Amino acid sequence: MDKRSRFASLIGPPGIYLLLIFLVPIGVMFIYSFRSGISGVAHDTFTLANYQSFLRNTNFQNLLWRSAIISVTIAGFSTLMAYPLAYYLVFKAGAKRVTLMTLLIVPTWTSYLLRIFSWKLILGSSGALNSLLLSLGWIEKASPILIYSQQAVIATLVYVWVPFVALPIFAALERIDKSLLEAATDLGCPKWEAFLRITLPLSLPGVLAGFFFALIPTLGEFVTPLLVGGVSGSMYGNLIQDQFMRALNWPMGSVMSMAMLLAVLFLIFMLTRFGSLSDLAGF
Amino acid sequence: MQPKTKYFNILLLLVAGAMVLSACTPKPVTGTLTLLDWSGYELPEFWTDFATKYPEVKVEFSFMSESADSYAKMKSGTLVDLVHPCSNFWKIMVDEGMVQPLDTSKISNWKDVNPALALQGQFNGKQYWAPWDWGFESILVRRDLVQNVPNSWADLWNPEYKGHIALYDSGETAHVITALALGFTDPWSTTPEQDEQIRQKLLELMPNVLTVWSSQTELEQMIASGDVWVAASAWNASYVNMVDQGLDVVYIDPAEGRGGYLCGFAIPTTSTNVDLALAMIDAYLAPASQAKLANDYGYGIVNTAAIPLVNQTTADLLSLNDQNIISRTIFYKYLTPEQRDSWTNMWSEVKTSQ
Repeated sequence: MDKRSRFASLIGPPGIYLLLIFLVPIGVMFIYSFRSGISGVAHDTFTLANYQSFLRNTNFQNLLWRSAIISVTIAGFSTLMAYPLAYYLVFKAGAKRVTLMTLLIVPTWTSYLLRIFSWKLILGSSGALNSLLLSLGWIEKASPILIYSQQAVIATLVYVWVPFVALPIFAALERIDKSLLEAATDLGCPKWEAFLRITLPLSLPGVLAGFFFALIPTLGEFVTPLLVGGVSGSMYGNLIQDQFMRALNWPMGSVMSMAMLLAVLFLIFMLTRFGSLSDLAGF
Repeated sequence: MQPKTKYFNILLLLVAGAMVLSACTPKPVTGTLTLLDWSGYELPEFWTDFATKYPEVKVEFSFMSESADSYAKMKSGTLVDLVHPCSNFWKIMVDEGMVQPLDTSKISNWKDVNPALALQGQFNGKQYWAPWDWGFESILVRRDLVQNVPNSWADLWNPEYKGHIALYDSGETAHVITALALGFTDPWSTTPEQDEQIRQKLLELMPNVLTVWSSQTELEQMIASGDVWVAASAWNASYVNMVDQGLDVVYIDPAEGRGGYLCGFAIPTTSTNVDLALAMIDAYLAPASQAKLANDYGYGIVNTAAIPLVNQTTADLLSLNDQNIISRTIFYKYLTPEQRDSWTNMWSEVKTSQ
């Protein structure tokens, strides 16, 4: 098998799959964003009206901005929490590494919704935390703690994403040539300085990859805000869903999705100025 | 002989044989009947009569999460023999030629269907929809957690409920209940000035609102946990479930009237199984199926002959026999695309204003 056909046989199946279930739908959505309605000959027209009304709608733009801040916060906290975790696994855990790694993944074996509901049971008015505070006399009346707020959305999604952010960081730390650190010690470099000048820079590709792992999907989140966000925790994804499901305005929903795609690309562009795109892939 | 032609000849022979056989003996009707339905209604107990009459017909269900979902699925090419959205989607589906008129003379249980509810399924003088299930949308209150139980939709604005109300997540519902609270008699024909008043009034309600709800289970969990004291637009099924759990709840009869939804079956224009589909509607309308719907799920029913089969407590909880409440119930009406758009946008803005 020559090099080219081997490349084709490796890349072909996932490539075709991506084309069919990712690029084609995005193309369809792009076309829809210029239509005047869902279906019927009357709507087979080309119009920029949807884009114009999106640009006029400050509410949509504000929420996109707010959601971008929320997801950058989530990705930031997830990365901050995942880094020490991955560091410990690579440099300190030794033989326990595999066990600890498995423990990290175990929660994802249960349904996400189930975990959210149990959070609500713990933090809700008749939940464990309220009962404890009531019996200690610290509060007089039970009320939901933390949930139904923007903070709840952030806390929940950070909890969900930490393990996934830890994986690329773990991989990046493991690739570091340990003899570099030994050399640093031999030459009298203090540990913290060796970390700042060797470990951290070499692990940055993993950090960036992990950051984007969390950032991109959370920008379009709509399930978590619906369940724990209350009225102040709505995100942009909820409005897209409203356009598709409630208003039956698929063209507007498509415009909003396109705007989000642009926002994601813009965020990636801005953040990759700190590192090259190939770093993101972890090469 | 090429293998392909050989197989083709064998196939021909088989088909011919089958045709001869079927001409000799009366074979039971075969085929497949497909439904786009809500999950929970696929249970065979709901269509016993059909299964008895057509044991050889395969019945297949695909599921819809809400009425808009069934509309979207049909628009994107899903082919089924029966579809089951609620009445606010009936007219749009008729207008867009998505469903066909029903020959009610082929539905033996049709004579017992509540005429007022059947009327809602008529368009252009033809019966397109067979109503099947309905329910109230009213205010469900944890009596043990509030000082004053609300008496009207307007009472939702009482500051006592600050941070403890759940509103149904739909611009349509938000518009309607606020219009009722403001005293507008027909929420479906409001002027632009009234729409603005509604928007302002809803903004004033938001400090009282803890969250929006969109699934029955989710709402019931929040009422049971005590996070939500006052659940707006809750369905009577939730009331029955909360009473069953032993909670001290009350399902009020608001001064402006309860809201109501009505859902039912129609046969898509694309269906080629019309007779089987009609037989399926007939089976769903049978008194035993309807009584099961009321007794097990706590939903309102349309077959008057089924009411004696509903157990008394459930019938009372559902106010099935209380004509006074039913006649004042404000059922969802058809929305124009403009209303659908502007109410959704208004609600998107209001609910994200906090």
